[in-house]
Amino acid sequence: MTQGVLDVDDTNFESQILKADKPALVDFWAPWCGPCKAIAPVITELEKAYGDRIIFARCNVDTSPNTPTQYSIRAIPTLILFQNGKVVDQIVGAVPKSHLEEAVKKIL
Amino acid sequence: MTQDLYDVAIIGCGPAGLQAAIHAASKKAKVIVFGKPTKSSLYKAHIANFCCYEKPISGKDILEAGRKQAESFDAVFLEEDIVKTKKENNLFSLVTESGETFTSRSLLLCMGIARKKLRVKGEKKFEGRGVSYCVDCDANFYKGLDVAVVGNESAAATGALTLLLYAKTVYLICRKLMISDMLYEELKNSQVKIIQDTWVKEIFGTNEVEGILLKNDNTLKVNGIFVELGAKGAMELAANLGVAFDPETFSHVETNRKQETNIPGLYAAGDITGQPWQIAKAVGEGCIAGIEAAEYAKKLANR
Ligand SMILES: Cc1cc2nc3c(=O)[nH]c(=O)nc-3n(C[C@H](O)[C@H](O)[C@H](O)COP(=O)(O)OP(=O)(O)OC[C@H]3O[C@@H](n4cnc5c(N)ncnc54)[C@H](O)[C@@H]3O)c2cc1C
Repeated sequence: MTQGVLDVDDTNFESQILKADKPALVDFWAPWCGPCKAIAPVITELEKAYGDRIIFARCNVDTSPNTPTQYSIRAIPTLILFQNGKVVDQIVGAVPKSHLEEAVKKIL
Repeated sequence: MTQDLYDVAIIGCGPAGLQAAIHAASKKAKVIVFGKPTKSSLYKAHIANFCCYEKPISGKDILEAGRKQAESFDAVFLEEDIVKTKKENNLFSLVTESGETFTSRSLLLCMGIARKKLRVKGEKKFEGRGVSYCVDCDANFYKGLDVAVVGNESAAATGALTLLLYAKTVYLICRKLMISDMLYEELKNSQVKIIQDTWVKEIFGTNEVEGILLKNDNTLKVNGIFVELGAKGAMELAANLGVAFDPETFSHVETNRKQETNIPGLYAAGDITGQPWQIAKAVGEGCIAGIEAAEYAKKLANR
């Protein structure tokens, strides 16, 4: 069993993601965003498969505006993959599951 | 203004929507169909592989005949785009481009497939860094900035109006607007700066979008460009209802053999459910969806 997709916000982004001992994938989303809803099940599936080795998190850009600004996010959904506190990949939009899985495998 | 309650509302009046309307209305369901026949993929096509028609037939003729046939069963047609959907207390509510709200017990998605990309220089490079395909998702990132919306139809016009609530300046770039009179009035009386008879040629910038070059060789300094071609598609209209897409491409809505989506009362038929993009498939699925939706609505009404 994995821990599920973690909710992170402006206050704990650094401790939970940047200083984490594992790589992380963060899904930047908002409740009014249709494509964000559409990809959510894919993130949940990937978490079940890789959640033991990678942190899967989501950050609501509506309630946490600072973190998306820091990463110059201008469109959602945006997925950012972090390793040792650094951005290793940034994916915009509802992209195919296979594409996401490939990106995830690169940070395993 | 809120209208009567319909049993079956159908978004799209291509072959899928028409066949669904015919079957649902012939089962005595109260049916309304939204959409513009000229925007069906079929409208300009000539068809030679549709069963029982040996000689090529014009798509326009098929669409006109289908509408007459559906009207003979008392289906109602409204040539407007839907710009918003909601589900509340088991009922669907739909808002048209003119701002009217309609309510139904079941809803059919027969919107076909839509082209969403502009295919111009800079578009791919700046995706997510100033190029956006979803006003509802991304308007909030452009507070106090200058933006352009490109498109000729309801998605672009309503998108531009929404962006006025966030951005400092909103340009609407279009060849020729094809929207309802009411929406046109609203747009004309708003602060949206309409630039007609031209199109986007190139999107430029260094790290982020800094401006766009138009076909008429003028440039506009903007921080963002929203590409909103055509009418809103399934991703913009139905994803917020929680409808499931195929996870591989996110381009089509997933249905079972009854044309049901994962949302009770919500059905999909035609090109929107995936390939093959053919009339025969569209009418076959439309038939099933129409019958199923009418039955669902009847059960809901009798509860
Ligand atoms: C050039 C060309 C040639 C073709 N040739 C053939 C052929 O030979 N044989 C064949 O079988 N098929 C052919 N096709 C494909 C065929 O046209 C489609 O498979 C068929 O039209 C699909 O039907 P549909 O009802 O799913 O969608 P469409 O016919 O595309 O209809 C979609 C409808 O939805 C409406 N709509 C979309 N968004 C909204 C909204 N937000 N609000 C309200 N309404 C909306 C549109 O106005 C339109 O009325 C051809 C297509 C093209 C483009």
